[in-house]
Amino acid sequence: MISLKAYLFVSMILMVTGLVVMISRKNIVAILLGIELILNSAALNFVAYSKYAANNLDGHIFSLFIIVIAAAEAAVGLAIVIRFFQVKETIHIDEASELREELTR
Amino acid sequence: MFANILFSVSSLLVISSCILMMWTKNLMHSCVYLLGVLIGVAGLYLTLGADFVAATQIMVYVGGVVILMLFAVMLTGGKDYQSQTQKILNLFPSMGNKYTFMWGVGVAFVFGCTLIYFFRNLFSVIKVIESDDSYTPTIERLGELLVTDHLVAFEISSVLLLGALVGAAIIARPRKERPAFIDDIVDDHHHDEEHH
Amino acid sequence: MENTIAGYFLSFAPVQHLADSLGVGFTSFLIFFAFCTLFLVILATVGGFGTIAERKISADLQARIGPNRVGPYGLFQLIADGIKMISKEDIMPRSADKFLYYLAPFLSLFGVVCTIAVMPFSKNLILTDLNVGVFYAIAISSLVGVGIFLGGYASNSKWSLLGGMRGASQIISYEIPVTLTIMMIVLIAGGLSFNTLVAEQAGMPWNWYIFHNPFTFIGFFVFFISTLAETNRAPFDLPEAESELVSGYHTEYTGIRFGLFALAEYIEIFVVSAVSVSLFLGGYHIPFGLLEGTFSNEILQFGSLFLKTCALYYVVIWVRWTFPRLRVDQLMSICWKYLTPIAIFNLVGTAIWIVAFDGRSMFDLFFGSGVH
Repeated sequence: MISLKAYLFVSMILMVTGLVVMISRKNIVAILLGIELILNSAALNFVAYSKYAANNLDGHIFSLFIIVIAAAEAAVGLAIVIRFFQVKETIHIDEASELREELTR
Repeated sequence: MFANILFSVSSLLVISSCILMMWTKNLMHSCVYLLGVLIGVAGLYLTLGADFVAATQIMVYVGGVVILMLFAVMLTGGKDYQSQTQKILNLFPSMGNKYTFMWGVGVAFVFGCTLIYFFRNLFSVIKVIESDDSYTPTIERLGELLVTDHLVAFEISSVLLLGALVGAAIIARPRKERPAFIDDIVDDHHHDEEHH
Repeated sequence: MENTIAGYFLSFAPVQHLADSLGVGFTSFLIFFAFCTLFLVILATVGGFGTIAERKISADLQARIGPNRVGPYGLFQLIADGIKMISKEDIMPRSADKFLYYLAPFLSLFGVVCTIAVMPFSKNLILTDLNVGVFYAIAISSLVGVGIFLGGYASNSKWSLLGGMRGASQIISYEIPVTLTIMMIVLIAGGLSFNTLVAEQAGMPWNWYIFHNPFTFIGFFVFFISTLAETNRAPFDLPEAESELVSGYHTEYTGIRFGLFALAEYIEIFVVSAVSVSLFLGGYHIPFGLLEGTFSNEILQFGSLFLKTCALYYVVIWVRWTFPRLRVDQLMSICWKYLTPIAIFNLVGTAIWIVAFDGRSMFDLFFGSGVH
């Protein structure tokens, strides 16, 4: 019998690596990869709790919706990335700053 | 026993792929490691008895998201822009100086301590159900739940997917400097004004 | 468990003796392992015979003789080919991405081979009757697309890259009509496991799902065309179009790595044909319930499935050597403008049919009134 803590530990590692990938990378696609990891960790937690804490299938439903949302997010996000690349010819995240107010330094 | 073996293999796959994904400089390799993570998470779902979720995970992620990611990396060059945080030692990216980092560490410390205080009783609050390893099929109950209790969310997610489909198609479509439909709108507007 | 190989074999006396000494779980694991290995070997042989069949049938269609030197009718040509593949030098382009280059053929083969876990060869000859069977098969076979794309990308060659891109986009696109069509059958059968899908098709050919209603009849052809595209077969073999791209995504692969790609393709055709047979053409069922409950019945069932699958295999090769290749834009417009709307129409039509006629088939409605 695998304990709940084991799943939570794996999920925590997923979450932390996702966060590190999101923060440390400057490529927009890499940031989307990090988001996928975080969404996966959340979905894993839902399913684990649904077995160990609630004993019903609501957690499964939640993780199904998370998968759906991740698919939609990936499609729209990558479309935006490709459009951005067409305009700027780079996908460095710091280049996406046209809407920012000019800082007076 | 087999659940334990599957759990060990899957979690090892997940953790090693995660770390490699964080480590590697090559974005294409990152995507392949993401594949490893997703398959490992699907294995973890299987150990939890979530067969349908595992199959959906493999289908949506491997068949769709990973290939989309690979396409995006290839179409945009897959260049990994070196950020300063990737070199852990000189930890000063462009988003702050050392004072902001000091403040950040302080706030993170306080916040983390608060969280630990709140969640210290997590495992005593959650009454863990000691279920046996017997496996029950989930599909029929999932189907019933999706069209009864979670019907609204189900319908909304279909609308979301339709929106994402149309939106992605429109956004990624190559176009001229000024899209044609703006001209049409402007023309219609002039036309209306002449009528009035 | 009862409906799988392990359950079937655990009822034999010597195996029960083994189970008593080693424990039931471990024994069934051993049986599974042995059968998985056996299936793999058999499938690899079938894939090898696929290459022979391709060459022989194409020769026949073009009034040639084909390979006839090795063994009777050239049947052992696959052994000669295999030895040639293995003993060839394994060349890697200098600028290739080493990791991905080595990984890609294995991903491609892995995706195909994993699907045989749920293939119903007869009522009991099925490795595991997963309750998400057909869904699992669709899901795991999408790894093939990743393998093809990575193979094309990692070779660092323009032909390979174009082939890989075409392959991946084609596989993603054609997965939609395939899945929608399978959903139609799932709607009729009321379950995702292969035994449930096959169960209602027992008996004579008019019980097959292809003749269940007009929509499934159209659906079979949608499914067949889409699977042709998904296995990268002609007339949809754009990823390996030899007149434009030298050999597509496996241009730079030599020796056994190329062999793995080729093997994956031929096994995938077999698997996909077996899936179409199980979904539409009655699966492993034989008429009149011949020799019900005996071991000969199992062999007859296996023979029935194998014959139908080989017939479809023949059609696939026949199509390849008959039709000209499509253009890329034609390929995409066929998928998105014709096959997908038709598949959605079929799905809705089948749902309406089930509600309107209480799930009865056409034959049942015309001839079987009162019998039902």
